[in-house]
Amino acid sequence: MTALLRAKRVCVAYGDARVLDGIDLEITRGEFVALIGPNGAGKTTLLHAIAGIAPVCGGTVDIAGHDLAKAPREAKQSIGLAIDPPSLPELLTGREGLALFAGARGLPAIPRTTLALAETLSLTSVLDRRVASYSLGMRQKLGILLGLIGEPPLLLLDEPFNGLDPRSALAFKAHLAALAAKGDASVLLATHSLDIAERHATRVVLLMDGRVRRSWDADELAAMREQPERSLEKGMAEACEKES
Amino acid sequence: MSILWHPALRADWLVLRRTGAIAFVRILGVPVLLLTCCAALACGDFYRGYGWCLAAAALLALGGSHAIAHQGLLDALERWQLGWCAALPVARGAAARTLLLITIVALTASLVIVTVLLLGVSFGAPHRGDLPYAFAGIALALVAGTALAILRVFRRGAFAAHHADGIREPVLAAEWLNDPRLPHLLDWQRRAALVRWRRGGSLVMVGLVLGTVPMGAPMLEVAALVLLVLSWSWLALVMRASADATSLAVTLLGAEPLDMRRARLASFRYPLVAAACALLPMAAGAILGRSGVAALAWMVCACAFSAWPFVRILRATRAESPA
Repeated sequence: MTALLRAKRVCVAYGDARVLDGIDLEITRGEFVALIGPNGAGKTTLLHAIAGIAPVCGGTVDIAGHDLAKAPREAKQSIGLAIDPPSLPELLTGREGLALFAGARGLPAIPRTTLALAETLSLTSVLDRRVASYSLGMRQKLGILLGLIGEPPLLLLDEPFNGLDPRSALAFKAHLAALAAKGDASVLLATHSLDIAERHATRVVLLMDGRVRRSWDADELAAMREQPERSLEKGMAEACEKES
Repeated sequence: MSILWHPALRADWLVLRRTGAIAFVRILGVPVLLLTCCAALACGDFYRGYGWCLAAAALLALGGSHAIAHQGLLDALERWQLGWCAALPVARGAAARTLLLITIVALTASLVIVTVLLLGVSFGAPHRGDLPYAFAGIALALVAGTALAILRVFRRGAFAAHHADGIREPVLAAEWLNDPRLPHLLDWQRRAALVRWRRGGSLVMVGLVLGTVPMGAPMLEVAALVLLVLSWSWLALVMRASADATSLAVTLLGAEPLDMRRARLASFRYPLVAAACALLPMAAGAILGRSGVAALAWMVCACAFSAWPFVRILRATRAESPA
């Protein structure tokens, strides 16, 4: 199967500090990949490098056959990055924000699927209020909707369950699982929630000090679900111990 | 730090010290200019005996101190209530106490500066006996203007009215102004400009320019000058707000397949309409002033100074990708 995302030897540095150091990552259609790792491992930076908003100092990122450096617009057509809640435009209403993002994607209006997901996440009633008045959970939901607008095939999500109420979190997990199962979308999720990674992901990648240290495939994850003593938590702890 | 004062005060002070002299010039520049203009106006009384000059100086001090205090207090309050220190366990009333302390210190410093300036400009003047009246008038105006700003900022609901929530929809919505390919970017720019305009800091420029009007100038020419300065002040603010909103929007849409050419066209809509709107009162001012060359020079200067935000918009919408 052809890869939807192919990142080769990706490096990102902020000044002298190298945050990502030669990352190789491939994701095919329908995969649900969870990125785990300690704070400062480079999970968010990797998502930003794939989304084209972190300056890459080495390596290549290829999305749906388009080189991100050479054809950024074509490559970005295939990705959707959930927006970080503090970055949302406070002076606009939620609906206006959605319309702005739809326009940026070349869509004439907010897609019905996005409005349906807003309904599922119980956000419809506040869509006409200014973002400045939103709670953290509402902002998180709006950030997710902005990332999913136009149903791009590769979803980049950074801790999207933070601040979500249990009902909305469950609904969103079900939505992601359904998208991945249908093969319509691949998900790259950066998370500290090992439970979500173990239960929903088809592959888990452990990132430490800007490098991929270990990964667990679908069979290993299935085995973990059957044998609780082989949890992802233990696997990660062992990997961290080895490293130290 | 004592629980009496807001902890952000110390952090702000450290940041200010590390930013260097430019930060101090930025903060102190306009207030010192205001006080200098007040003292310069008072010269009309000290040297020529025009009593109305004192009234004009007091009026300038009243409006200027109000505008500066109102903007400064709102900016600080927003930074403290919504910024990094928003979740700190700050004692009740600490923010208000701290801002009052800063205001009182600034007011005291202003009174000292005004005293020194008035003593300096009235030295050897024929009507030096009016010095106490000049000082009392300007000092009272400074205190009244600042007190009014404090009351306005701390009244119930004032903060929300000046923050994002308080922006009402325009009377003339002019939906056609919004670019359908990047909808609501124009609304973002307009609201950002409105938030800044309401803080009032730009209005101090009107007072400062009026402070330099020669004594005995015809009222029609003064009215023309007010029109020119007010429209320029508004245009400059709109341009800066539009450029800032555009930069934020382009950063926010960084992961989207944004057509930068379209984004540039959408970003210029509001600033261009604003410039056209500002040119009308400028032209009216030019006609009233009946000085074609001076008005033309003024408009050229206004356009030249407003061009920098245009360049910022061009730069923001230039790069396809940081990669």
